[in-house]
Amino acid sequence: MSSWRNLLLRIGDKTPEYGAATDFKDHIETCFGAIRRELDHSQTEILEFLLACAEQLPHKIPLYGTLIGLINLENEDFVKKLLDKIHTKFQDALNSGDCNGVRILMRLMTVLMCSKVLQLSSLVGIFDTFLSSAATIVDEEKGNPLWQPCADFYITCILSCLPWGGAELVEQVPEEIDRLMVSVEAYLSIRRRDSDTGLFFFEKDDGNERGSGDKDFVEDLWERIQALSSNGWKVESVPRPHLSFEAQLVAGKSHEFGTVSCPNIPSPPSVPSGISNGKQKHEAELKYPQRIHRLNIFPPSKTEDLQPIDRYVMEEYLLDVLLFFNGCRKECASFMVGLPVPFRYEYLMAETIFSQLLMLPQPPFKPIYYTLVIIDLCKALPGAFPAVVAGAVRALFEKIADLDMECRTRLILWFSHHLSNFQFIWPWEEWAYVLDLPKWAPQRVFVQEVLEREVRLSYWDKVKQSVENAAGLEELLPPKGGPNLTLGADGADNNEHALSGELNNLVKGKAPVREIISWIDETVLPNNGLEVTLRVVVQTLLNIGSKSFTHLITVLERYGQVFAKVCPDQDKQVMLIAEVGLFWKSNTQMTAIAIDRMMGYRLVSNLAIVRWVFSLENIEQFHTSDRPWEVLRNAVSKTYNRISDLRKEILSLKRNVLSAEEAAKQAKEELDAAESKLTLVDGEPVLGENPARLNRLKSQAAKAKEEVVSLQESFEAKEALLVRAIEENEALFLMLYKSFSNVLAERLPEGSNARTLHELKSTEVDVMAVDPQEPSTMEVDNENQKPPNSQSNGGKKSNAYNVGEKEQWCITTLGYVKAFSRQYAAEIWPHIEKLDAEVLTEEAPPLFRSAVYSGLRRPINEA
Amino acid sequence: MASLFKDPAKLSAYRDRRFPGNQEEFEHALQTSTTVYVGNMSFYTTEEQVYELFSRAGEIKKIIMGLDKNSKTPCGFCFVLYYSREDTEDACKYISGTILDDRPIRVDFDWGFQDGRQWGRGRSGGQVRDEYRTDYDPGRGGYGKLVQKELEVQRQLVDYGAGSLGSFPPVIPHSYGRHGGGHGHGHGHGGSHRHGRDYHRKRYRDDDRHHPHESSKRTSDHESRRNADPDSRPEKNPRFRESGDSDDDEEDDRKRRA
Repeated sequence: MSSWRNLLLRIGDKTPEYGAATDFKDHIETCFGAIRRELDHSQTEILEFLLACAEQLPHKIPLYGTLIGLINLENEDFVKKLLDKIHTKFQDALNSGDCNGVRILMRLMTVLMCSKVLQLSSLVGIFDTFLSSAATIVDEEKGNPLWQPCADFYITCILSCLPWGGAELVEQVPEEIDRLMVSVEAYLSIRRRDSDTGLFFFEKDDGNERGSGDKDFVEDLWERIQALSSNGWKVESVPRPHLSFEAQLVAGKSHEFGTVSCPNIPSPPSVPSGISNGKQKHEAELKYPQRIHRLNIFPPSKTEDLQPIDRYVMEEYLLDVLLFFNGCRKECASFMVGLPVPFRYEYLMAETIFSQLLMLPQPPFKPIYYTLVIIDLCKALPGAFPAVVAGAVRALFEKIADLDMECRTRLILWFSHHLSNFQFIWPWEEWAYVLDLPKWAPQRVFVQEVLEREVRLSYWDKVKQSVENAAGLEELLPPKGGPNLTLGADGADNNEHALSGELNNLVKGKAPVREIISWIDETVLPNNGLEVTLRVVVQTLLNIGSKSFTHLITVLERYGQVFAKVCPDQDKQVMLIAEVGLFWKSNTQMTAIAIDRMMGYRLVSNLAIVRWVFSLENIEQFHTSDRPWEVLRNAVSKTYNRISDLRKEILSLKRNVLSAEEAAKQAKEELDAAESKLTLVDGEPVLGENPARLNRLKSQAAKAKEEVVSLQESFEAKEALLVRAIEENEALFLMLYKSFSNVLAERLPEGSNARTLHELKSTEVDVMAVDPQEPSTMEVDNENQKPPNSQSNGGKKSNAYNVGEKEQWCITTLGYVKAFSRQYAAEIWPHIEKLDAEVLTEEAPPLFRSAVYSGLRRPINEA
Repeated sequence: MASLFKDPAKLSAYRDRRFPGNQEEFEHALQTSTTVYVGNMSFYTTEEQVYELFSRAGEIKKIIMGLDKNSKTPCGFCFVLYYSREDTEDACKYISGTILDDRPIRVDFDWGFQDGRQWGRGRSGGQVRDEYRTDYDPGRGGYGKLVQKELEVQRQLVDYGAGSLGSFPPVIPHSYGRHGGGHGHGHGHGGSHRHGRDYHRKRYRDDDRHHPHESSKRTSDHESRRNADPDSRPEKNPRFRESGDSDDDEEDDRKRRA
């Protein structure tokens, strides 16, 4: 890479490119010197690369801004071109709803205003455009308040520019800033507070799900900006290198920036109803997602020495590094730990990463990405970060009973994976007390599930060794995990063994599948009945495939027809799954894999799986084990994967059809042109070109036409498949919700009108006459910023878990209702009319309905 | 996303010499492949461990364990096949360099599994990198194969009391899990730290398992396992094998570029 590129890329970093220089001023001068030399013959490259750096390293934007300011003194034309480019990109980003693009380019423009490159009025003009667009959106008459997420986004963009340029704006145009602040305040008074309880990390159990003192994201940022304003617009976390060059920069020409326009938002549904409104609101939320849901893990003392705005800026830095350096491990870790701020921020960094890992409904990247980042940061800061991570784990563990079920699952997967990268070392003795808790206590279940996942990633003895410092904890390890052949277990049923032996021999003797099937038809079924046949066939084949994942696949591929023969309908498939569960009862992973593969080969349907999950034996485990939930999650996610694969295929087929049609049209035109041409043959004018070419063109045109037809056919075939898949989806969610509704109706406390989890918990607590307060072990900050409950810090931990078994069962199950609804909201919304009519009726348990509603982020009162 | 530091078009510096095509085709295969190659694994790592780890990047279609072509036991690499390209990319991005079974594993895009690629390409049946290693690596069968042979020769010289070659355990894979996964040349070190491992999960692979549609004609798993035995006898004449075997093991190349 040429040196100006390296200097641009590495500006502000501690790297060899800049030698001993650590001062931003020196860096900018060095870099400017190199750029100036190259500007004449590499203008385009410099422009492109400079912009790419600013876009992908947004924490360095102040440095790039100053640099552009200096270039502006030398070459106004270059800077003009740069601004034009920014303008195009900005408008494109706005049109396409590229939130990150809009946000980052606005920061760049703010900084360019500070460096006298951009006219102040141009920036204020953009603010005004955003403000008026936001105000219109939330206006009931003129706009469409369902799209408030978009309006909120515009306001957030304006506010988030102020840490970078607030001081300059106030100095130069104080009255404009005042006007801006008033307008934002006016907007805040019109908009609706976002009370998305469905996305909270923790279940509030104070009855009142959101206290009046709680702020949503926009209000929170607004408060931080107000604090910034009253603090004289001083921000420690934002470098202000342009100040060192102020004397030069004032001489530069400030350019104008053309106007921009916000895209129109969809109009409200023509027939407004709870459902159509909900669908559109959901669409808006998907398009303009909130960037971060703040997760307060640590006591405020760990982070509170920062100004409120610094926390916001740091989060922006960290999230941007995570966004742009996904896939570049080394750079990601080094930028994360080397941000240009004069304070330590390990706690804040941990909170930010955990807030992404646990983010609802989905983190921007797969959870395994954050696992990797945490591993790398532990290695990059071995003295500081591991302890912070451990602190976060302890704090989350204390609150695990209130943690959302989806977050809990992610935490289990992350923690087990994390430990597997650090020799499985963890002070388990701290948590040995969970053994004294009832087997449904969330902390105990958490430990048990972490150990289960550790065993899967490693092996039983290794994990047992790792818990040796915690007396008795091995009790929570899963069983050692072998297969469990239970033929004729109840008594000396040699018959089943004999049949199984025969089948084994058939398999060993390479008997063709049809032979096995006729053996079953003629010998086994008539004499032994279905139950025995099914058990013998399924267990024997599973046993043959029990040695590994690949063995299992091989058996399923070869003997799929045998399974299908014995289990042709849903009832039998449920029996088949039950047999799998029995055979692999001491190995949850193999149970889950076997069922998943059977669904993959369509030997069992997702409906059969749901029915099995809601069989009595599994229902009884809902609150004590992840086993049934894992199987259910797999089934729903496989269904979802199928449908989204189909959508992708259809999309690409559609494109292919279009381009084939284009090609066919062209071929036809060419042919027509050739045919209408007059050619001289033997001195006589004849219609049509020479016959060879004509023939070739003819066959080309015919081929192109055929291509269109065949693509069109496969497109239609896929469409038909999609229609079927959507029907299957509807059937799946109907059955899933019906099953949930039924089991909850049976088990929610009879006659109880409990409408909140809090009331549910206290039913048992009252009986037991225990202090209804949560155990006062929280070293953590409540999400709603309330002072912690009456605390006796340093007092003994109260380890008792005072929620009864039945109540815990309901709480866990409701938690999963919410988690499934939230994760598949986009798939569920299209079927909501049917669900409303058949499941979410007045008769359904109120707590069940509110769990579904909150997962779908659907206001309950609009039902 | 991060185009500043990484050329997204450049996926692998490694070029498999057994790829049947030119560089361009090779690159295209890597760009579109949904297969990853996993290297530097322990011989003891099971498919289920691989499944647990790699399914965190996405739904897995298949796992193919790399096997020692003589002993038919895992020899420290595997292929993982995904359904989607995005998941494949994520596996490379997020799993490469992390720990599986106490070892940092390597995950790379692969041009696509074909039958035959599951076998080690080293002279002794395993991977080439395990031929020449001089370190003692308990997760990969102890010393490298050459060193092992050297040690054996030395021991034979000392051990003349016992007399014959017959005193050496034949190279039969049933010791997998207890002993070094490689050739089991009497070096039991490898397995000793792995007691209690469910070693019955030995993997054998029959060549035809990639043609599921002809299932009825296929031999059973059990059958092919019996058939596999003749292959796993100790090599008769080491010198004879030399000419037929090539060195172009992927492992070695991969190492070179690291």
